Amino acid sequence: MKSPNIRRRNLLKGSLSVAGLCGLPLVGLQRVLAASEEQMIIDAAKKAGGADLNGMIWSLYYRNMKRLAEEFKQASGTGIGKIQDISIFQIPQRSMAEALSQSGEFDFFHVDSNMIPSLASAGLLEPLDKYIKAAGVDPSSNMVGNFGNFMRFGGHTYGVPTDGNVHIEYVRKDLLENPEERKKFADKYGREMAFPATWEEEHDLRKFFTRPDEDMYGSGDLRNRANGVTWWYMYFYSAGGFTFDDDMKPTINTDAGKYAVEHYLRIKETSHPEAAGWGTPQMIPRIVRGHVFSCQYWDGTIAQAEGPKSTTQGKWAYGIPPGSKHSGKLIHRSISSPLAAILVNRYSKRKEQAAYMALYWGTLKNSAEIVSHRSWTFHDPWHENHLGHKDVTTAYTPAGINAIGRTMQITTPPIYLTGYLEFQDALAKNLSEAYVGQIKADEVLPKTEAAWIRLIAVIGKNKLKKELQSYKAAMPSVDVPV
Amino acid sequence: MSTTNSDTRGGGVDQPRVAQREVTRARAVRRFKWTILTPFIVLLLAILIPVLLLQLYFSFNSWTIYLGSWWDADFVGLGMFKEVLTDPRFGWAIVRSLYFAVGSTFGCFVIGFGLALLMYRPFKGNALYYALFILPMLTVPIVIAYTAEMLLNQNGPVNDILAWLTANEVTIRWLTSPDLALTTVMILEIWNWTPFTFIIMLAGLSALPKEPIEAAQILGASRWRIFWEVQLPLLRPVIFLALILRFLEAMAEFPKAWALFQGGPGTTTETIPVYIYITTWQYFHVSKGAAMSYVVMLMMIVIVLIAIRVLRREKRSLDVIYERQRTETAGVGA
Repeated sequence: MKSPNIRRRNLLKGSLSVAGLCGLPLVGLQRVLAASEEQMIIDAAKKAGGADLNGMIWSLYYRNMKRLAEEFKQASGTGIGKIQDISIFQIPQRSMAEALSQSGEFDFFHVDSNMIPSLASAGLLEPLDKYIKAAGVDPSSNMVGNFGNFMRFGGHTYGVPTDGNVHIEYVRKDLLENPEERKKFADKYGREMAFPATWEEEHDLRKFFTRPDEDMYGSGDLRNRANGVTWWYMYFYSAGGFTFDDDMKPTINTDAGKYAVEHYLRIKETSHPEAAGWGTPQMIPRIVRGHVFSCQYWDGTIAQAEGPKSTTQGKWAYGIPPGSKHSGKLIHRSISSPLAAILVNRYSKRKEQAAYMALYWGTLKNSAEIVSHRSWTFHDPWHENHLGHKDVTTAYTPAGINAIGRTMQITTPPIYLTGYLEFQDALAKNLSEAYVGQIKADEVLPKTEAAWIRLIAVIGKNKLKKELQSYKAAMPSVDVPV
Repeated sequence: MSTTNSDTRGGGVDQPRVAQREVTRARAVRRFKWTILTPFIVLLLAILIPVLLLQLYFSFNSWTIYLGSWWDADFVGLGMFKEVLTDPRFGWAIVRSLYFAVGSTFGCFVIGFGLALLMYRPFKGNALYYALFILPMLTVPIVIAYTAEMLLNQNGPVNDILAWLTANEVTIRWLTSPDLALTTVMILEIWNWTPFTFIIMLAGLSALPKEPIEAAQILGASRWRIFWEVQLPLLRPVIFLALILRFLEAMAEFPKAWALFQGGPGTTTETIPVYIYITTWQYFHVSKGAAMSYVVMLMMIVIVLIAIRVLRREKRSLDVIYERQRTETAGVGA
């Protein structure tokens, strides 16, 4: 037997070569495996140097994030200096004013991510791609389905989500399961009561449970000018509609659009007479006190519905919003508006530190802490791993978290384009006018279309055509979630 | 009379010296006025002119915040004004603002004047009433709006009180009825700003000369006739001032309407300030907002010029009345 030609020098050379080829990646891999997401962000932030950041954020949101900001300050030297505490509904205006002044005074804005196209077009936003790459953590990539594309625009990632804010379906389980009610309903409609699968099924249930003499109304959906339009999108998208064709021609004055307007106005039959002026402060108390049979509502309301002060605790069934067969197949669509996210100011001198602070809030561990508070429920789940997370499930109940997870697969944005607020308000104004009888139902879509055509001309058709890709990318690819 | 006599006695020697002294005095007064006013005028112009010029630039150049820098905006000439003047939404906003301003001015005036009539003769404990009547004016409008939201809902305390008073079920939809929403803001405006009219009318009533009223009393005129034929004519300039100031203020009302309705239900509370805000800060069309502001400013300037003219005419007619009274009193004295 020929002895193998192993010499000490060859062995040494070979070993060195292997070490040379594999050693470096192995060291890197070890570091990645050893370091948590948080540590990776801290390491990147340390290189940027410490800073005290100024942010624009509503205190009702910031309270959940404060402890983590202090923790980040300890670990990286970057913390929060000053906060401008204003409502998330006013931050679009204030942040646009910052785009105008280009002062760089604020390092980050906590705002509806649907403002990303307008704010990016105004030149205010810093793309986060390089910071994501440097830290090796991308929170938006952990969102369910195409939900992460709500953070992306024109090929760049601009936001770190903090609040998923999807509309799930709330139905009064106790009424749905009540034998007497079931019998009465079956006698009247010739079918058994069940969790509504379509808007039409839900409307029948709502009509059945609308009992003004008992201060009970079928619908708890909002119909005020500021929020009501959000519901219209769900009806429209689920009927197979989309707002524009590829040439940026409005496509709302269509069958799907008419179907959506009709259903939007039909809800009046089952709504409280004052619904035209009610927002969340008026409607949530009515939901949790049992004056409403069903609604599509922001998922954070689960905590109130199941909270200690609720008179309907344990009486709710949660699920995905009803769908529509109008297009020939059943499609379910929900909406997220506002989907709150941290956006970084391009004009800030501390933009790098602000980006790392945002990423730190967006890790699984930290975001789970933010969204799982039992009573401070302004932040709602968005991370795919929030769905199985023990604390988050405790906060939202297993049935609730199941509904949220399924709803995320079918969640849509409003008009994810530059000029979002104006596109939306043109529609909201006309819907609201029709709801209170100022104009006829069949005037809503032609009037909106005319306003949109004017706006497209102002913004520029070619610009918007390019942006359509980002809008479409945020649309779900699932029609009926499992 | 004595003055005339002394002037005559002074004759040719004193007259030039007196005239010279008068001229010097007038010059000193004028110099003093300008010394006081100049810094304020300069400051006002320094602030006002750049703003007006910038606004003028925006009105002639189409610029939306998210579409590039303002200095690159496209020149559109009078196009933006044409757009504003042909916008039916703007037209309706003017109609709503006029309705709101006229209604609230009238309401504030009637109640404020009524309270002033009750209060202008001193009585024991009137300081407490002054404080009470002035309190609404010191309340922040946004607080009024949120308080109203709690009080005025369909099942709220206001309807409960009305139900108790009328012994009927009252379900007025103050906050959600499209026919009532703007009137609700008007009622809040009247509550908020009646004290302003009250103060002006109280000052006017207190400053009225006593002689004509006393003369009318001596002649046996009734209280109503004294009010109608003596006090009211003398108060006319003050009344006009109160109405004009209140009207201009009401045309600019924004916080209550916005906090309660944001232009809704439908567009029933979309007044001029609300529509300008929506255009500028929700749609970010700064140019259209600037053009609208200019149109409104011109409209208000016309109203103010007419008001000044009316006020001057009133003052002149009042001067004639006073002069006549002075002559009559002097005649009686002689």
